[in-house]
Amino acid sequence: MARTRVQSIATAILLSVATFHSVAFAQTRSRDDDWLAPSREAARMNPLLAHPDAARGGAKIFEQRCANCHGDEGRGTSKAPDLAAADVQAQTDGALFWKISTGNAHAGMPSFSYLPELQRWQLVLHVRSLQVR
Amino acid sequence: MRAPLVEEFLLSLRSFLVSLLAVLGAAQAAHAQERPYFVTYDHYLEEPGNVEIAVANTTGVPRAGHSAYNAPWLEVEYGATGWWTTELYLEGVTAGQDGSGFAGWRFENRFRLFKSEHRLNPVFYLEYEHVNEASRIQKEIVGSGSLPFEPIDELRHEYANELEAKLILSSAIHGWNLAENVIFEKNLSESEGIEYGYSVGVSRSLGGLASGRTCYVCAENFALGVEAYGGLGSSMERTLSGTRHFIAPVLAWHVTPRSTLKVSPAFGLTDTSDRYLMRVGFVYELPMRWRR
Repeated sequence: MARTRVQSIATAILLSVATFHSVAFAQTRSRDDDWLAPSREAARMNPLLAHPDAARGGAKIFEQRCANCHGDEGRGTSKAPDLAAADVQAQTDGALFWKISTGNAHAGMPSFSYLPELQRWQLVLHVRSLQVR
Repeated sequence: MRAPLVEEFLLSLRSFLVSLLAVLGAAQAAHAQERPYFVTYDHYLEEPGNVEIAVANTTGVPRAGHSAYNAPWLEVEYGATGWWTTELYLEGVTAGQDGSGFAGWRFENRFRLFKSEHRLNPVFYLEYEHVNEASRIQKEIVGSGSLPFEPIDELRHEYANELEAKLILSSAIHGWNLAENVIFEKNLSESEGIEYGYSVGVSRSLGGLASGRTCYVCAENFALGVEAYGGLGSSMERTLSGTRHFIAPVLAWHVTPRSTLKVSPAFGLTDTSDRYLMRVGFVYELPMRWRR
């Protein structure tokens, strides 16, 4: 009897999670207009600008960390925006670096501050390379 | 003709697998950072929609000639939203001739309080535990006193329902992670007051500039650190006497972008602590993708 009850509870929990997931993530993401980099952060320069080869490492990190949500080519999915879009590319390197570093938990964007700083700048280089494709 | 017990088990298993497939089929993403710590939590949550499965084991070598033990556990973590991660744990124990058995389950939730990163990032943690006295995984250490060393077959019949809360504070400073956890645990089955504990950890990735090629054994795939954890008595015993404390180097190897191997030897610092613990864990994020 107890086993049947545990089985029912476990099944109910798992089905609830599945339903929650389907409803929550089937919706198109919404843009957070309040998510703006502080001006001091936005003014930062990419220290790798003179090392365009570093973008290859950025592409690898992008594939590992970002492509699931932003898509293989960074052109966006139902979960995350198109990084080649004009409004993204219009942002400064410093602003992109800040957004990669701090994330936005409310919009589902994780923070990547655990990555070494140079790797986050490599990601910015890669995001810049998306606009010319 | 199958015995009713076997038939019931097979039915339960089928229901579980069908439900699990439903969950996994609905989830469509992967990739987060796996913390190198075993006990300390940092502020990085599971990415929304991600499912992560981990298997781990704590091997303990107690003092005073008690039997060594192994305490394996299975962990399923799910990113419910960007600010809420939920986990289910199932744990067991085996201690040679002292017996072995199922030690209980835990349901854990972590809530990130701020949407962006700050110098100090608070996360609120709440866990419900239904574990027995044989539990040995030592996912956290609270209160005082050594582990009970009666035969497992006796201990595993004494269940306790516990509520555990943590305040997690974590910072990212120039590539380093610094995390501090304060733990409060209340046994709902006994009048033991509230037990306190702590854990602190510091770690960093060993990589600098990422290479453009795929590599497995290269510095950028490793994170190294150290954590310290222990009990701080209880509201009924306001003393540190008889508390257990450990210091533990931690190493994480991101074997592939989706899998991480973690190892941590821990050294007992007081007479009530086990002499050594050896923790090993393997974490795998399910390979799922979002579409346009």
